[in-house]
Amino acid sequence: MTVKKMKRRAILAFVQNKPGTLNKISMMIRRKMYNVDTLTVCKAKPLGVSRMTFTLREDDEARVLQLIRQLEKFTEVIRAKELDPDTSYWREVAIIKFELGKKTLEKLQKTYQFEILDSQPHDIHIIQIAGPTDRLDRFLEDLGAEHLIEIARTGVTALDK
Amino acid sequence: MKGTELILRALHAKGVKYIFGYTGGTIMPVIDEMGKQHDLFTFVMPRHEQGATFMAQGLSRASLSTDNPQIGVCMSTSGPGAMNLVTGIADAHMDSVPIVAITGQVATGVIATDAFQESDVVGVMMPICKQTYMPLAVDEIEKTIHEAFYVATTGRFGPVVIDIPKDVQLQETAKKYSFDLKKYQPRLPGFYYHPSPERDVLHKAIELINRSERPVMFCGHGVISSNAGEMLQEFAEKTNIPVAFTLHGLSAMPIDHPLSLGMMGMHGTVEANRAVMNADLIISFGMRFDDRVTGKLSEYAKNADVIHVEIDPSELDKNVATSVAINADVARTLHVILHDPELTSKPRRRWLKEIAENRKITLAEAEKELSVGVGDDGKLLMKTIVSRLSTITEGKDIIVPDVGQHQMMAARFYNFQTNNSWFSSGGAGTMGCSLPMAIGAKLARPDERVWSISGDGGFQMNIQELGTIMEQGTDVKIMILNNGYLGMVRQWQTLFFDGRYAGTPMLSPDFGLIAKAYNIPYQKVTELDKVDAAIRAAAEHEGAYLLEFICDPSEVILPMIPAGGGFGDMIVSRQKA
Ligand SMILES: Cc1ncc(C[n+]2csc(CCOP(=O)(O)OP(=O)(O)O)c2C)c(N)n1
Ligand SMILES: [Mg+2]
Repeated sequence: MTVKKMKRRAILAFVQNKPGTLNKISMMIRRKMYNVDTLTVCKAKPLGVSRMTFTLREDDEARVLQLIRQLEKFTEVIRAKELDPDTSYWREVAIIKFELGKKTLEKLQKTYQFEILDSQPHDIHIIQIAGPTDRLDRFLEDLGAEHLIEIARTGVTALDK
Repeated sequence: MKGTELILRALHAKGVKYIFGYTGGTIMPVIDEMGKQHDLFTFVMPRHEQGATFMAQGLSRASLSTDNPQIGVCMSTSGPGAMNLVTGIADAHMDSVPIVAITGQVATGVIATDAFQESDVVGVMMPICKQTYMPLAVDEIEKTIHEAFYVATTGRFGPVVIDIPKDVQLQETAKKYSFDLKKYQPRLPGFYYHPSPERDVLHKAIELINRSERPVMFCGHGVISSNAGEMLQEFAEKTNIPVAFTLHGLSAMPIDHPLSLGMMGMHGTVEANRAVMNADLIISFGMRFDDRVTGKLSEYAKNADVIHVEIDPSELDKNVATSVAINADVARTLHVILHDPELTSKPRRRWLKEIAENRKITLAEAEKELSVGVGDDGKLLMKTIVSRLSTITEGKDIIVPDVGQHQMMAARFYNFQTNNSWFSSGGAGTMGCSLPMAIGAKLARPDERVWSISGDGGFQMNIQELGTIMEQGTDVKIMILNNGYLGMVRQWQTLFFDGRYAGTPMLSPDFGLIAKAYNIPYQKVTELDKVDAAIRAAAEHEGAYLLEFICDPSEVILPMIPAGGGFGDMIVSRQKA
């Protein structure tokens, strides 16, 4: 079976910070037969409210709207909406451990301006890099899989302009 | 005060009189407290917890249109008790019936350790009910219960589950604890509820209505739930627009009204389904375009604009694209639209004539069999029995069918005259619902006659509730339409599986002996000329009565739109081999 690469969607939900809320949201996403690409949760500005951003793949606008309406049906969900990539910022952070010679490291840093968190003997470094997903992807490509030891990525969080 | 006292105080404040409950380790304290306050509640013990959920449904659904609407409350112990509630709660969720289930849970100290009779009730119930709660301290109990009732009965109705750990039930409140119901306001910023229609969409709707030549109105469960049957009828009469009913919309107005098209959908009438197919406008009130109603979506009502009035916004544009979506309560919308000075009417002579022609087809088809009354094998036809019942009771009684062919026969051949007199499991189609649901309905409407109509299959799924009937002395008239088969599945086998009857023949016990064991009078009816007398005997008897009718297994319910088919695929007439 060939999997068609579908449009990536970011959905933002303001939810009551209560046990079970995440459970309900992920349950609905599962029932709708999506796979969550990324999920981030943080405290929102109002007290007791969390801000949840998740991304999934779907081409059909109507199905996205359906999902949003069904999410909003949960009493715990105060508001849900889709974030339009043209009018919002999508960013993520990665912490990456790799082994790389000094020269290439400096070259990469010039291009990507990441923060070096730790450097150990034998050219082992831990860095922090932030930006749009494709920037992180490009960095990893430039780094080369053979140099990579371990990576932690937050997944996308997003904000409307 | 103790947690158990607060639970009962909250239930009492919400007007609860009946508790359908089954005891066990973790719910004992509540039941014990109820025993102390025996004058406040009537405890009705089902013989299986599933029965409690359907009794609660029956009470909620039947009382909704009375002066004293009540919410059905069911109660069970943790683990197996709570798991036995699952089917009935899922059923209530599918059919938007407000019930409150209270389950005992193991003590907070041992939750999530696989303690004795521990099940993750919240985890199991979450996807199959409207909301779940687990109060973790005694002072949360009252506000939780009040919120639960609010959520169950606000917006689109639904079942709510409250799982209360035993230690929380037994906790004493602090001295300074107080709860003021008058000041209580549920704090639910995310609970979207929009009862009144917006002005501009209403105007657009009225424009479409005024313009249309071939409109059809849909009467769904929302009409019943918002008690809007009379208004719907008035609206239909005022605009001269015919009305088609969903399974749950039945009994919202007299089904023999000149503008009524009867039921639509898979087993709908020819006039209803053809009207939908040829309509230029659908005005749908409180329904959700279920696949049993629409058939193949790509062929559904292709030439019609759709006005959809629905309280649940997630149902709008879900299956059918609307021209005008009105997210509001059906009763409020009808109230406004009915009095709009711009609303006009038309004679619609052509349209109504076309409908009358199609109505003749349905009638003629049914008459072929009704005039004989029995099948080729000489056994009774279900449609005969239901039409006899309808005539004898003048269509005025409460009908609670089970699930299967007899259910569709009852839907099609009972001449509903009384508002809100049909309680059926639709969205889930849960066999076994009838007997317990009829008990709940009878408790809600003691002055009306209640008929539980089951097949031989479904009756045996909750047959044990005869014990509840015996114990409570509930006056429910029970009909078993016994065709020796899981008939509805057999019908599919006849039509789509080349007549291979795998897994559908069913051997039944001697229902007479069973009735005797429960001290319920019984008659078995095998002959056509005994049908009326038997129905009259049951109707006139004071107390429960069991009638078993021996039916022709080869009878089918037609018309039928095969699953996944379009309205053009409707099978109207039976070609006998
Ligand atoms: C709990 C449950 N199990 C299975 C089904 C599938 N099912 C739908 S109708 C039906 C047959 C019902 O037979 P019976 O109760 O004898 O009624 P009849 O159709 O013969 O009138 C079955 C098995 C169901 N709806 N519910
Ligand atoms: Mg049967």
